[in-house]
Amino acid sequence: MGLGKYITARVAWAGIVSLVIVTIAFILMHFAPNPAIQQAATDAALQGNDPQEAIERAEELRGLDRPIHVQYLDFLQNVYTLNWGWSEYRSQPVPQALLEGLYYSAQYSVPWTILTLLIGPLVGVYSAINMYSWKDHLATGFAFFGFAIPNFFFGIILLLVFAIWLGWVPVIYNPDVAVFSLENIRQLILPVFVLVTGSIGGIMRVSRNESAEFLNADFMKTAKAKGVSPMRAYAYHVMRPTMVPLSTTVVGQLLAIFLGSSVLVEVVFGIPGLGRLTFNALINQDTNLVLGSLLVFTFIGVVGNLIEDLVFTILDPRISYDDR
Amino acid sequence: MRRYAKKSQTRFLSRRQWLAMVGISGTAAMAGCLGDDDSGDSDDTGDDTSDDSTPADSDSGDSGDSGDSGDSGDSGDSGDSDDSDDEDDAFSDDDDDDEPIDELPEVSGTYDTVTSASFETLNPLYNTEAGAGTAIGRTIDQGYTFDDNNELFPLVYDMNTDDGGMVWVFDITEGLEFSDPYGSVTAEDFVYQIEEVHKSDWANTASSATWGGINIEQTGELQFQAELENPQLLWPQTFDPLEYPIPKGLMEPYVMEEDADGMRQDKELLELQFTGNLGPFVLSDWTRGAGTQYVRNHEYYIQDIDWGPELFNGAPYFEGASISVVEEQASRIGALQSGEADAASIPPERFQEFQDDPNVSMYQIPQPYNTIISVNMRDNGWTTGPGNLFRHMEFRQAMAMAISKQDLIQGVYRGRAQPHYTWQPRFSRWYPGDDSIDQFGSSEQYGEDLARSKAEEAFNKSDYDYRFDGGDLVTPDGNQVELDLYHSAGQDTERLTGEFAAQELEQNLGISVSVEAIDGVRFSNDYWTGTPEGGSATIDGEEVTWDSPAPQNPGPRSVHASEDWDMSLVFGLNTFPQNPLTNQFFFDGPTCFYNPVGYYPEFNAQELFQQAREAETIPEMKEAFDQIFINVAREQPYIMLTFEDDLYGYNPDLVGPSEIFNNGWDLPAWHFEE
Repeated sequence: MGLGKYITARVAWAGIVSLVIVTIAFILMHFAPNPAIQQAATDAALQGNDPQEAIERAEELRGLDRPIHVQYLDFLQNVYTLNWGWSEYRSQPVPQALLEGLYYSAQYSVPWTILTLLIGPLVGVYSAINMYSWKDHLATGFAFFGFAIPNFFFGIILLLVFAIWLGWVPVIYNPDVAVFSLENIRQLILPVFVLVTGSIGGIMRVSRNESAEFLNADFMKTAKAKGVSPMRAYAYHVMRPTMVPLSTTVVGQLLAIFLGSSVLVEVVFGIPGLGRLTFNALINQDTNLVLGSLLVFTFIGVVGNLIEDLVFTILDPRISYDDR
Repeated sequence: MRRYAKKSQTRFLSRRQWLAMVGISGTAAMAGCLGDDDSGDSDDTGDDTSDDSTPADSDSGDSGDSGDSGDSGDSGDSGDSDDSDDEDDAFSDDDDDDEPIDELPEVSGTYDTVTSASFETLNPLYNTEAGAGTAIGRTIDQGYTFDDNNELFPLVYDMNTDDGGMVWVFDITEGLEFSDPYGSVTAEDFVYQIEEVHKSDWANTASSATWGGINIEQTGELQFQAELENPQLLWPQTFDPLEYPIPKGLMEPYVMEEDADGMRQDKELLELQFTGNLGPFVLSDWTRGAGTQYVRNHEYYIQDIDWGPELFNGAPYFEGASISVVEEQASRIGALQSGEADAASIPPERFQEFQDDPNVSMYQIPQPYNTIISVNMRDNGWTTGPGNLFRHMEFRQAMAMAISKQDLIQGVYRGRAQPHYTWQPRFSRWYPGDDSIDQFGSSEQYGEDLARSKAEEAFNKSDYDYRFDGGDLVTPDGNQVELDLYHSAGQDTERLTGEFAAQELEQNLGISVSVEAIDGVRFSNDYWTGTPEGGSATIDGEEVTWDSPAPQNPGPRSVHASEDWDMSLVFGLNTFPQNPLTNQFFFDGPTCFYNPVGYYPEFNAQELFQQAREAETIPEMKEAFDQIFINVAREQPYIMLTFEDDLYGYNPDLVGPSEIFNNGWDLPAWHFEE
């Protein structure tokens, strides 16, 4: 099977996966208590009216009294036409809520990802080249410090120093500033710094150990014998093979970007991003918004895996899809 | 046979009352959500009465936040104990708003505040959150508020009764205008809103449970009246008749279609585009999860009223306003320190630090939510052995005597709380007076000997052989009594309170108390509420039947939640100083609406509440309430500890805040010092 056919099959498979997930989500939602229905019943009970009657009335108004297969088909149609319903927690359509969250998350997560993927492997290779020297210890110490200190705590400390004591950056995040503006850089520099220092540790250690394996490999000796400059040798003959196993973490990295530790950072810095949105949707039982988030993460997961497989072939041409 | 469960209409709860009963942390837990994300300190639980960003908004916030804002300060208490603070002044403002002023202040700056939770909706018809009520209140006034003397201060309408509270006449303020194309505010808008929306069975608005059984009639272009089923002298104090003006023309299409979702999602309602001259500001932006921004409303109607302070003539005095959602408490306080916010809630442990800071003005504001130890009198309580001692009044009194309120207030609350003796704060006009009530845990009624002596009275009443063995209180098996005490996870002040109480109970009563953290939602679902089963029980020789059981009182003591528990600090409750009649839902008999602990009053609570309900004058009502609160202080249905003050830091240049319960009623007059 060639690359084209492989991608087609993977995309088709992604469609099936999404259908399965959407179906499971429908079943779970069908059996989960509906806050609006519960509210109607509570109101009725508080007033001494019949809660059951109130439930039936509320279900009728929302079309929940129809046969389950009709509701399912209706649900499927809504999902695939992006009619994901209304977010009660935010009082806006779910796709709009997700897009808004993504808009603010992307502003710090894109630079975070780029910097992490650039700095992590570089520091790792640098450590490997200077293994067991003070430079290695310094780089490892730096990476481990960021990894060890909780983002939440680190963020508060940085805010205290740079926002409250020094006044260099604002405490309150302003969502209305232009994306590409100095003001936006000022207000995002701390969250990006916290996240980058928190995430390069793992990548740095993997790349350090991986690259150590290649530093004394035969092809490095050959390159050196041929007079290749050290920088070129490290970049082409060490960094490149190091990146192959490293790239397997990209999907996880992407997911972490949009949810993981960013929730806490968004809380500290007051950024109305996707992490806080999803977390609050969960704890506020905003079913539609939770479902929308689920679909977004499903999409990211499926597409991320696809991209990851394609990146393999670019980084390592020996990987072929002919046999798949 | 006593049948407590046969309830009159006046015993049913509105959603507003329900939400006000347990405050934000409680209602959030009941609703299955966590509310404040940081929830790290008690100051956040104080957000419910007036959101921490906006201590100024008891005037115009949703009733959930202002619904309990005290009442006139003519408390009869003598305040003779050493801990008496300035409770008597809780309603009196040192600033005299009626003083003539030479020149109105300049309009300048923006009034910027921070809040911990984002707003679910700004639709005035559907909002039930205090924080969002504040955000809405920036743009549109509700019917009325209570001023610094706790007198009703008409905003959008005035309310009067001349027949003892049966018929209330609403007079709408002249000159109120909606935005185009809706024209003037008239009585028809209110009558339509109440009759066609709130009283409907499809709309499910925040006030849907408020107006049932009330006959509404338009009596003039700017006047309508409400005839109640039973007279209510304190009806305005319940905040039930508190509504926003909403244009009839805006609601009409949804009423015709019975389209609740459409009305809930209407853009004009959600983005407050109809507010005309009805509020101090106009909403310019609402970024979900980030907050709201406003610009000054030059046409604000309050400039033209002739019954308010002179300062209202130029109101508001800010060019704009904003409310930023900052979930992390440290960041909110940081915003106050850096000058990015003009007001923020301060935790008690940092009060002194900010009091010494010239860049912040600190205010200590009383509030009616209490800190109590709930003791489980149901069959799943008192897990240490047989014969639940919590059921004996003397044992509850012994517990109250064993915990020093003064030490608790000084040690845990840094002096920023008031002692809690009965189900009213001392600043309430309904407080019976220090001389009339037991003050367990205060200097005269605190100590090991007193507590042990009282506990022994309880042992004598018990069928089981509880006794003191050395210093320990032991079970019939000879083992030390061991009890658990739950507090909300992440609530530091609550944890410290629990640890202090545990230490006192160990020292003065010989009880080993294990203090455990628990998630509020889990506690509510698995420990606090049970499946309503009803049933009957014989109490004092009479059979009592639970005809209308609720999750918070699922039946007799044999009916209970799924998990066992002994004591809890998780839920503080409202004491309703404005309208204490609401306390009937806690105390008017074993079958009362809200009774998770299985308390059976030993005084005739139902009759006294009935007396209060039927009172035709305030003194009559006061007499009934005196008896109720004297008995509640004696019986300690919950072990009452403190009323924690709300602590706020303000921009020192801000003129207007005051340390009174209705702080913020005159927000339109607030301004920056020139």
